Amino acid sequence: MNSTLTTADSTARKPMLELSNINKTFRLGPADVRVLCGAGLTVFEGEFVALVGASGSGKSTLLHIAGALESADAGSVMFRGQDLSRLSRHSRHRLRNHAFGFVFQLYHLLPELSVLENVLLPAMVCSPWYKACIRARPGKRRALELLEQLGLKDRLRHRPSQLSGGERQRVAIARALINEPSLVLADEPTGNLDPKTGQTILDVLRGLHKGSGQSILLVTHDVHIAAQADRVVTLQDGKIVDSTL
Amino acid sequence: MYKIFLCFRYLTRKGIVLFPVLAVWLCVMMLIIVNSIMTGFVNRVRDAGRSLMGDVVIQSDSMAGFPYYRQLQKRLALLPQVKASTPVISGYGLFNLPEFQVNTGVQVMGVEAGSESKVSSFGSSLFWQYKAPMQAVADLRGAGFPTTRTKLLAYAQKRLLAAAKIEATRQQHYANLKPIGNHAWFASIRQHWQVIAHEDYQQAVYKENRADRDLRMVQALPNKAFSSAAALRQAMVPKAPSFTPPPQAANRYLTGADEPKNGCVIGVDLGLYKRDRFGHYHRPPGVRFSPVIITMVPVTMKATLAQPQSRRFVIVDDSRTRVYAVDSKTVYIPFHVAQKMAFMQRQDLLAGGVRPGRCSEIQVLVRHDSSENNILAARKAIAHVVHQLELLHPQMEIAGIRVRTWDQVQAEYIRAVDNERNMITFLLGLMSLVVVIVIFLIFYMLVRDKTRDIGIIKAIGGSEEGVGVIFLLYGMLISSAGAILGLCTGVSFVRNDNWIHDHILWRIFGISIWNRKIYVFSKIPDQIDPHAVMWIVIFAILAGLVGALIPAILAARQDPVEALRYE
Ligand SMILES: Nc1ncnc2c1ncn2[C@@H]1O[C@H](COP(=O)(O)OP(=O)(O)O)[C@@H](O)[C@H]1O
Ligand SMILES: [Mg+2]
Repeated sequence: MNSTLTTADSTARKPMLELSNINKTFRLGPADVRVLCGAGLTVFEGEFVALVGASGSGKSTLLHIAGALESADAGSVMFRGQDLSRLSRHSRHRLRNHAFGFVFQLYHLLPELSVLENVLLPAMVCSPWYKACIRARPGKRRALELLEQLGLKDRLRHRPSQLSGGERQRVAIARALINEPSLVLADEPTGNLDPKTGQTILDVLRGLHKGSGQSILLVTHDVHIAAQADRVVTLQDGKIVDSTL
Repeated sequence: MYKIFLCFRYLTRKGIVLFPVLAVWLCVMMLIIVNSIMTGFVNRVRDAGRSLMGDVVIQSDSMAGFPYYRQLQKRLALLPQVKASTPVISGYGLFNLPEFQVNTGVQVMGVEAGSESKVSSFGSSLFWQYKAPMQAVADLRGAGFPTTRTKLLAYAQKRLLAAAKIEATRQQHYANLKPIGNHAWFASIRQHWQVIAHEDYQQAVYKENRADRDLRMVQALPNKAFSSAAALRQAMVPKAPSFTPPPQAANRYLTGADEPKNGCVIGVDLGLYKRDRFGHYHRPPGVRFSPVIITMVPVTMKATLAQPQSRRFVIVDDSRTRVYAVDSKTVYIPFHVAQKMAFMQRQDLLAGGVRPGRCSEIQVLVRHDSSENNILAARKAIAHVVHQLELLHPQMEIAGIRVRTWDQVQAEYIRAVDNERNMITFLLGLMSLVVVIVIFLIFYMLVRDKTRDIGIIKAIGGSEEGVGVIFLLYGMLISSAGAILGLCTGVSFVRNDNWIHDHILWRIFGISIWNRKIYVFSKIPDQIDPHAVMWIVIFAILAGLVGALIPAILAARQDPVEALRYE
C-alpha cells in the first residue's frame, strides 16, 4: 500500500474509494504519453480530500479513473469494496449516477435545458419514467431545496447562458448532489472563477460536506483552496507523492 | 424518461432541426398529393368503365355478333342474380353533320334507350333529358318548397334577369380593361388579367344560359303545385330516356316523308361543343335538333363488307360518360335501326327458313349487393346459361361468345393505369430518400455539436444505449413531426386541390396544370387512399430513424472523457 494511507487517523475510519497502483498511458501515434504510473489514493467515508499537482500532471485523468469514466491500464479501483473494473457496464452507469457526483471546471451544463431541468437530469436518468421525476414531489422538492440552499431560487427557469460563471458552477454542484451521491468528484471547480467567487464555491462545497457528510475529492492547483481540505495529496510524475493532514 | 425529455428539448430549442422537418414535411405532402390524385384517377376510370357496361358483358368475338339474344335474355331474366339485361349493337360508321360541316369516323352504338338506362349509366349521362333537369331542380331550390308553377316561373325569371345583369357587367369589365404601362412585363400581366376577365365573362354567360334553360323547363312543366324538390324532379326528369325527337324539331329538319324520324345521341366530346377552363361545355344553339347522316358498314357472316348503309337522324341529346375515349368517338342510335343498318336483323331467307336477329353484346346488371365476389358468381351462372343455349344452337357457338365482368373487360387498361400510379409513387418515394441523407447530414452535425453534452450525459450515468436512443428517438420525432405536418397539409391540399388550382395557381400566378379542356374530368380527381397514406407516413418516420442511425451509433460510442475535453 502507498505510504499516504498509513496515518493513524485514517485507519480509524472506513475507506470509501481506494485507488492502487494505477497506470495510465495515452498512445498518440508514435509517442506515448505516460500520465500515471503507480498512483495510489484512498478517500475515506466523509473525508474532504484535495488533489493538487502541476497542470498536465494527470489529476483529471486520475479523477476520471476514480469516477469510472475512464479505465486504467493497470491497478485497481475499489469503491466500497467492489472492484470497478469487474463491474458490468450497467452497474458502472448506476454507480456514476447514484454514487458519484461530478463537478467540472467548465461547468458542463446542457445549454438547451433550464437551471431546474439541468439539476433534475441525473434524477431523470435513473428513473424509468420522466414523469416520475419531474412531476413527483421528491425529486423536484430536493432540486428546489438544493437550488435554494445555493441561492438560485429565483433563477429556476433561466438557461445556463443567462447565468454568471459562479452561478453556473453552483447549478453544476446542485446537479452533482441531486441523487445524494456518496462521493463528489470536483475537477478544478474554481479554476475558471475569480478568487472571491471561487471561495464562495468552496464554501458551498464545504458547507455541504459538513452538513450531509459527503466525501469530496477536489482537484485544484490553487494552494489556498487546497489548504481548506481535510487532507491534501500531491500528484507528481504520475505518483501520489505527498499527503498532509 | 430523460431520453424523450431531452429529445423534446432539442426539438424545441434547436433551429436547425427545422430543415429535416421541412424536408420530411414536403416529401410526405408531395407523396400524399400525387398518390391521391393518381388513385382518384384510377378509380374514376374504373367507375366510369363500370357504369358504361353494367356488371357483366356477354360479347361475341365476331363483328357479325351472335344470334338468339332475345332467348338468352329471357333465360337470364330467370336467374336470381340478374336484375336487368340489354342488347347492344356496335359497329363502325361515319358521322356527318352537314350544317356544321363535321365529318368524322365514329363508333355507332345501337341501344334500347329504356333497358340500357337500367343496366348502364346511359340514361343519367344524357344532358337534355337527365342532367339539365337535375340542374334546374337544384337551381330552383331557391324558390322554396312546397311551391307552385307560378311561383317557380317568377323565381326563374328573376334569376334570369339577375344573371343577365351580371353578364352585362362582366362584359363591360372585360371590354374596359386598360393597358397598365407599356413594358413587355406589364403586357403579360395585362394579358393574364384579360384572360381571367374573359373567363369571368364566359362564366356569367354560362350562368345566364343556364337560367334561360331553367326558365324554359319551368314553362314546360304541368300547371300544378310541387310539394318537394323530389316531386319537381319527378315531373322534370323523364322516367325512361328516348331517342324520339319532339315533332316540331323532326318536321323542321327532316326532308322526305319516307325518312324515319329517328333521333341520335352524340358523345359530348365529339367536337361539337367548346369546353372552357372550368370544364363547362358550351353548347352552341343549333346543334340540338340538327340533322345528321350516319353511315354504317355492315359486316356479313362471312366477314366481308356489305353495301354501306346511310340514314338520317336528328341529334336529340348528348351523352357524357366521363370516359374520353368513349365520349369523343361514340354516337348512340336506336337498337332496331342499328340492327338493320348492320344487317343483323331477322331475315326470311330465299331458300326458306329464317335467319335470326343478332346483336353484338348483352350487358347485364347484377342484383346489387354487388361485392366483387357476387359479380364473379353471377358471371359464372350467366356463362352457364350461355353454354346451355349454345348447345341448342350451333350458330351461337360459332360466334365465339365470351362472358366477362366489367373488371375483366377493362382489366388491361386499368392495370396499366394502376401500374403507372404505383410506379410514380414508388419513384417519388425513391427520390424522397434524399430526406434520409438530409437527416443524416444534420444529425452528423448535431452529434458533433453535442459532443460535450454526450459526455455530460454519460458522466451523470447515461448509458451508451441511452445516448443512442436519444438520437434515434430524436430522428423519429423529427420525421414524425414532418410526417404529421405533411399528412395534415397533404390531406387538406387534396381536399381543396380544385379550389387551390383555380383561385391561387390560376388567378394569381396564371398557372393552369389541370386543363379541363383536355382532361375528361372537370375536377381534379382526388381520392385519399388511407392504406397508401398510412404507408407513406410509416416510411417517412422510418426514414428519420434510418437517417439518424449512424449518427446515433457514433454518439453512443463516444468516449465520455474525450467528449468532456472537447471544446
Ligand atoms: N485523450 C488523451 N489523449 C492524449 N493525451 C491525453 C489525453 N488526455 C490527457 N492527456 C494528457 O495527459 C496528461 C494529463 O492530463 P490531465 O489529466 O488533464 O492533467 P491535469 O488535469 O493535471 O492538468 C496531459 O499531458 C495530457 O496532454
Ligand atoms: Mg485537469
